[in-house]
This record gives sequence, structure tokens and C-alpha cells, in this order.
Amino acid sequence: MSILLAALFLLASPQSGVERITVAPADANVAGLSKAITPKVTFRRNVASATRAPWVDSNGWRYLRQPDGHFYCDAPGVAAATLAAAEAFAYDVPVKIRTDSAGSESLTKMLAFLRTVKEGDYSPLINIGFVDDGSAESGEFMNLLVRRNLLFKVVKQPDPKLDLNVELGSTQYPKSEAANPSLLAEKVRANLTDAKRLLRLYGSEVVVSRLMGHGDDVRLYLFNYGVARSPANGVRIRVLGAFHKQKAMQFDAPETKLIDVTVDSGATEFTLPELKTFAIINLAK
Amino acid sequence: MDTAANRVDAAAVKLMLSRGIRELTGASNDHDAWSHFISPGDTVGIKVNCSGAPEINSNPELVSAIIDSLIALGVPADRIYIYDRFENQLRIVNFGPKVAAGVKIVGAESSRGSILGYDPYTYVEADFFGEEDTRSNLIRIVSDTLTKVINIPTMKEHRAAGVTGCLKNIAYGDFSNVARSHQREKSNTYSFIGTLASVEPLRSRTVLNIMDGLRSLWQGGPFLQSPKFLFFPKQIVLGTDPVALDHLLIDMIEGKRKQEGAPSLFDRSPGHLKRGPELDPQFNSFIREPGHVEYASTLGLGIFDKDRLKDKVVEL
Repeated sequence: MSILLAALFLLASPQSGVERITVAPADANVAGLSKAITPKVTFRRNVASATRAPWVDSNGWRYLRQPDGHFYCDAPGVAAATLAAAEAFAYDVPVKIRTDSAGSESLTKMLAFLRTVKEGDYSPLINIGFVDDGSAESGEFMNLLVRRNLLFKVVKQPDPKLDLNVELGSTQYPKSEAANPSLLAEKVRANLTDAKRLLRLYGSEVVVSRLMGHGDDVRLYLFNYGVARSPANGVRIRVLGAFHKQKAMQFDAPETKLIDVTVDSGATEFTLPELKTFAIINLAK
Repeated sequence: MDTAANRVDAAAVKLMLSRGIRELTGASNDHDAWSHFISPGDTVGIKVNCSGAPEINSNPELVSAIIDSLIALGVPADRIYIYDRFENQLRIVNFGPKVAAGVKIVGAESSRGSILGYDPYTYVEADFFGEEDTRSNLIRIVSDTLTKVINIPTMKEHRAAGVTGCLKNIAYGDFSNVARSHQREKSNTYSFIGTLASVEPLRSRTVLNIMDGLRSLWQGGPFLQSPKFLFFPKQIVLGTDPVALDHLLIDMIEGKRKQEGAPSLFDRSPGHLKRGPELDPQFNSFIREPGHVEYASTLGLGIFDKDRLKDKVVEL
């Protein structure tokens, strides 16, 4: 009987989307699951660092490294819990979110919102192929790429179809440079060139994005990791390509409209006037 | 200027402004003098400087006198804007009750970092230190509302730019995301200030500069880090050429620093660099870039060469 039940559970187990997100109490069992960190921003003004940028704790790189992984995330409070759900949804990974009562309440609303999002067969749109050797250095470097919105995917070997390939230990990217991942990310950006970047964000250092595409349609996910402190009052977005139709939806702001839209010079630009926690923007030609 | 009480005499400032604008234009009365720059049909922005508020900022007494002159010229109060980048700093100065009723007071950033008060289509793109946001956008009302701008900087030393006068106030004070140009001891103000100040329509709409030198700072600017750095030149300086006026400002601050035994603004010695509050005049966090003023002259923003300038001092 127990074998039969397990088989039935596996057959019924949701394979994608919002149903892969589980809400659990803070002391729930997480045996066998990989740890994801609490999504947030840490402002470390008094700590010497390579940049003055606030420290964004994002799980994007972790989910890109292990797309088949199963994770848990301790996310107490409204901001962390909703961000954790947004990350899981956008990166399409199963995550058990352990939270408190405030987080649980907001997650109920967040999951209801995510269920309204029309699913599509989207694939990541990326500029960079990164040959991940599984090392801690590579992990930290991927973290920097995600935080700087340098769109990449993990590849087994360099893919000539991509704008740029990066492999730590290669002549162009020696391992020694990984000691300063921030500087290395700058180098990658310079080698890629801003003109080729599929996506640029202006106006916030704490907003991270994920860009997806399906045919002529593009979907953009935007996470405001600084939401616990304040909403982002205006994010200017530039997407390569001409998209004459734009539609925004936002978890905690149902009336979301894009402003100052322009479509020219091979790119589409618009401003999201306020980003609270998580927004989804659909673009079509 | 009552220096003991640090209080400005509004009537004296009004007199200084009236005499100054007539001397600048050669007009025999205020109406004709202001008509050189402003028409009744204009929408006028008064770009103040509030970065050192409440201790040192564009004095409301001076701003009020300018507004009264504009209203007397026929510009309706509701087409006069006092503006700056940060709404919280404007609130500290609290111009509202101190100027004519109906004047609008606008801060581009109602909350720090907000981009909504800036024009998304007018920007300077530059990558200084690998920052992700490489754009500095012009304040939106300058693009879409104002037809003229009167620039009212305060006359101060600036720890990164060397001095903050006409050019710095109109450049860094009218664009978003400019603090990114300083990192560690390095500042890119040398070329960035002039580059921003030369962006249209800001450049052509800025028709007059009136530097507020009733109070000044010789160290630690743009903020008052210690009262010992405050001094009282008791002057206002009017002109159409921001480079020429800023050259005068450099001379004034240099003179004061020499008198106080402080290193020159042009000193680039690593021995005078130290991070942290600039409470010892022998040290500074940045290598100052007062050369930004001369550099701006190469962009056609004005004349730096003193031999080619007309400088008239009027004492009242």
C-alpha cells in the first residue's frame, strides 16, 4: 500500500510553476533538500569592499547551477517569504519555504497571484555561456553575474552561438582573477559590451531580473531585493528588440502601468514607476 | 549680514541684488535689467543649492528677492519654480513661507534614488567604476516645463570638485546618479561637471548665475562639517559666464585656505589624503578637481582666462 501511495504521489507531483512551491513552518523537516539563502539586501556601509553597491542575497545563481535541485529556504517575514516564492517561480525550481505566520499569510496571497500568471513555454534569454566547474569561485562569480543582470546560462562547453563564453581557468579568464569576482564580472561585461546586452536596468542597485522568451514574446521577471526597506521608485528598463506591446503585472500592486515607453534603435525602453516585491512584464512584437 | 547671529538682512540683500543686476546689464532700473534675461511669458526655474542645509544653502532672503523681481517683471508666481534634486533638503530650508505665495517648490527625488523626477530621454551615459547604472538623467521639469533657469549656487569649497559654484550646482544639481563619479580618493568631476553642464536644453536655458557668497565654506564642503570652516564673504556675484564666476570662486577659496594655512585646492599629494570626516584642513578624502572649471571652458561654457574677463566690484 505504501509503495502504491508513493507511486501515486510521484505521478501527481507538479512538474513546474507555482505548484512546486511549498509553504512550511519554520521547524519543518528539510532533510535531503539543498539550502537556499534568505533573499534580501544587506547594507554594509562600514565594511570595506570592492564596490559601494549594497549586497544582494539572491538565489538566482544557485538555481541556475542546479536546475534539477530541490531546495528549502528559510524566509521569515513578508518580504523574504514573497521574494523566496518569486525566485522559485521565476527560476522554476521546487522550493520549500519555511516561514513564520506573517510570511505564511503573505505567501498565500503571493501563490494566489502566481496562479493567475499565464504559463508559457518560455526559455531563458541569455548573452553569456558560463562553463561551471562546480567550484566555490565559480559559484561566487555566477552570483555576481546574476546580481549585475549579466544574463547567462551554465554550459558544458563554450557555445559559439552565444555572444560570449566564460570559463574560469581559460587564458582569457585565469583562475587568479576569480579572487576578485566583482572585477571579473566587470571584465566580462566589458568584453560582452553593453550594446549587446539583451537587458539593461537603470535606477536601482537592488533589482535583479530574469529574461525569458518564447517565439516573438518576451517575459521579464523583476525582483526588488530591497523591498523590506522600500519599494524601488522607478526602474528604467531597456530590452533589446522592438516590442510594441507591453503589459505589466505586479504581486502587490494590481494597477501597474508602464510609462515613458519608447521603441526605437532596435530596443524597447520603459519605466516601471514603482516596483514593490515582484513584477512580471510581458512584451510582444 | 549679522555674522555673530549668522543672520541675513533681507533688505540689504534686496539692495545688493538690485544694484548687482543693474551693474551687470547697464540698465538704469530693475525692470529693464531683468528684461535682459526673462520675459513675462517665461516659466522660470530657480536652481538653488541645499546640500549644506540648514547651515549653508542658497539664502531664502536672496531667493525671495529674485522672485519678487520676477513677479514685478510680470512673471506669475505659479510659473516660478524653486527646484533642487532632493526634496528632503528643500524641506529643511523651508522656502515656502519665506517667498511669495504661489511659487512652486519641486524636489526631483521625493525619496532618495527615485528616478521619476528625471527625464528618461535626456541623459549622459558614462561608466566610471563599472557601475551598472551608467546614466545620469536631467531633471524632468528642466526638459518639459521651464523655459529659463536662474542658477543660485552657494560659494563653497568641495571635497571632490575643489569648489562648488555655478558649474557644479547646475551640473550635479540637475542630474541623477552623479555620486557614482567619486570612489575612494578618485573623483571624475574634472570632466563630468562640464559635460553635464553643457547638455541641452539645460545649457541654453540657464541664462543667469547669482552666486550666494553671504556665507561660505573653506574646508569640508559641500556640508558644514565644523563651524570653524564657515566664513562670511558677505557678497553675491552675478554673471552670465559660469566659468568666469567659478574662477573668481577658486581665487576666493584659495585665498582663504592660504590664510588658514591649509593646502591649496590644487594639491594632489597623497600625503594629504585621508578617508573620513574632513575636520583637519590638512587632509581630504578625495583628490580635489578644481581644474573642472578650466576644463569647462574648453567645452564652450565660458571664459577662464582672467585677462579676457570684465570683473566689476561694487561695495555697498
